[in-house]
Amino acid sequence: MTNHALSRRSLLAGVSALGGASLLPDLAFAKGTLTATTYPGTWEDAYRAIVMPALKKKEDIDLELAPMFAMDQVGKAKAARGAPPFDVFVLDPGPRIVAIESGLFEKFDGKKLANLAKMPAGLVDEHGVGVSAQVVGIAYNPKKLPAPKGWKDLLVDPWVSRLGLTGFQTTFGTSSLIEISKQFGGSLTDVEPAFVELKKVLPKVAAVGLPAAMPGLFQQGQCDVMYTNTQTVATLKGKDIDIEFVKPESGAIAFYTTMHIAKGTPEITNAYKYLDLVVGKEVQEALTKPPYNLVPVNKDAALPPDLPMKSLDEMTKYINHDWAKINPQRAAWIEKFNKEMAK
Amino acid sequence: MTLALAAGRETAGGLRRYLRFGEWQLALPLALAFAALFLAPLLLLVAVSFFDDDKFQQAGFASWTRFFTDPFNYKVIADTLLLGVKTVCTTVVVGYPLALVYLDLPPRLQKILLFIIVMPLLLSVVVRTFAWIVVLGREGLVNQLLLGLGLISEPLRLLQTELGLVISLTQIEMPLMLLPLISVMSRLDPNLRDAAAALGASRWRVLFTVIVPLSMPGLIAGCLLVFASSTTAFISQTVIGGVRLIYLPLVVWQQGLVVYHWPAAAVASLALVVSVLSVIAALSWLGRRSTGYLHG
Repeated sequence: MTNHALSRRSLLAGVSALGGASLLPDLAFAKGTLTATTYPGTWEDAYRAIVMPALKKKEDIDLELAPMFAMDQVGKAKAARGAPPFDVFVLDPGPRIVAIESGLFEKFDGKKLANLAKMPAGLVDEHGVGVSAQVVGIAYNPKKLPAPKGWKDLLVDPWVSRLGLTGFQTTFGTSSLIEISKQFGGSLTDVEPAFVELKKVLPKVAAVGLPAAMPGLFQQGQCDVMYTNTQTVATLKGKDIDIEFVKPESGAIAFYTTMHIAKGTPEITNAYKYLDLVVGKEVQEALTKPPYNLVPVNKDAALPPDLPMKSLDEMTKYINHDWAKINPQRAAWIEKFNKEMAK
Repeated sequence: MTLALAAGRETAGGLRRYLRFGEWQLALPLALAFAALFLAPLLLLVAVSFFDDDKFQQAGFASWTRFFTDPFNYKVIADTLLLGVKTVCTTVVVGYPLALVYLDLPPRLQKILLFIIVMPLLLSVVVRTFAWIVVLGREGLVNQLLLGLGLISEPLRLLQTELGLVISLTQIEMPLMLLPLISVMSRLDPNLRDAAAALGASRWRVLFTVIVPLSMPGLIAGCLLVFASSTTAFISQTVIGGVRLIYLPLVVWQQGLVVYHWPAAAVASLALVVSVLSVIAALSWLGRRSTGYLHG
């Protein structure tokens, strides 16, 4: 007669086998992981929906996305001193230059990208690779306000009393304030006229907030017109909020968004695989579609009709700012903004 | 003499026993963690503040002199401390009566009230802050209600004002006031109140001569927590107050994470730590005095 009762030893063996088996898929399949930053909002949604599964499928790499503004990424990487908390940066021109000056990137070798030939000239350099372009202009609520024509309109009624302002913390905020300044005789490095004009209308302005708070304030009707990028407009539109984008008559601002490999990362091989996938035709095409509307960098990517910019060839028609000239001024501008705007 | 010797031996024996079985070993892990995770970074912060440039090449006092020769920064420090004082006042005015109500409730209802008081702590401060945007916004609950009742014709500006910020901080910080207050008040001997009343004291007199002095340690502990928390509440200050109301945490953030001038950020942080700590020290001194008054 067989004894069917489970002995303690056989139970333990069985449980251990089960436990061991659960580890097997990891051993068999996990080729690696990669932590990449992404911008909160549209970028995060798009990368989570499209890039994450694509990288898993093609390269078997588990992508972890860390949503962070460009400034925060540079701050965290500087603080980490050679032990970066993530492997790949996504940055705008201003923070990119700060990061280059601080030596936060691995030297980038464009030849390691299979898609190199499909990229417009100048988009790949020794620091990293351009993955999209951002367009900055004016966003307004068409149910509450008529469409503003340009930057000057923001400072007169009916727009000024519904205006939401942000300072020099972000690339889009700094670029927009420079453009406002230009309308009143200022220049790339002279934002004094913007301060003078803003100060005149300050009591009327609906909100002055942190960049991260602006979409929420717009959504709640605290302000009905603001300067922002097309991605933010796309995100809010996706939430059924009444918002439209306007290219100012003096021109919209455009800049490249670039990706870089963090200095000291052990995941260099996986980082190149990730970047190659991001600029590849399939991913670029998927990212151009609504609700993401990212401007593609791959020449082969087919374009949907409602993009703000059809391809990076149009970049020259937009206003481009030289961030090497802007960056040295920003600390003083931020301080001045505090003092001029403080209640 | 013999007695003194015996007492001495007793003390020495006590000390030995204390060192052998003492509780101080149990506190060691926390003390080490405190030294490694709080004291060391604080010293590092002090060290960083004595550099003149953001690359840490040149040591000096430039970051300090730059900060303290700018009158604007004194205004920022004063505004930050004043925000703390205002929040403490409103939490006391709203919280103290609530604690009194709690005291008189039957135990079952006390449990429910306690749950309601603790509930906001279970929510992230970010969520609570954004909820206040919905309440105070131009098209928010308060304005909708006032417009609906015909009390106002134009929406009031509540967001991005100090009034709106103090209102929301009062709710956000309320548990920090109520929990110490309730824990002290529920230990009050109810016979003392009854005795005072039986001796002819009016309800107000009982409140001000018996309950308030006896609850002072809890009240001071609550004020301390609310003050420290509201003066450093970066998220609430910037999201509800906007960036026209400038408090020290915003300056620290700008210098540290936007401009990357860490020595300047370190000086602003230390200004915040020292100014908040000095108010807290004054409050704890008051607290000790009130405890002495009770027992002495």
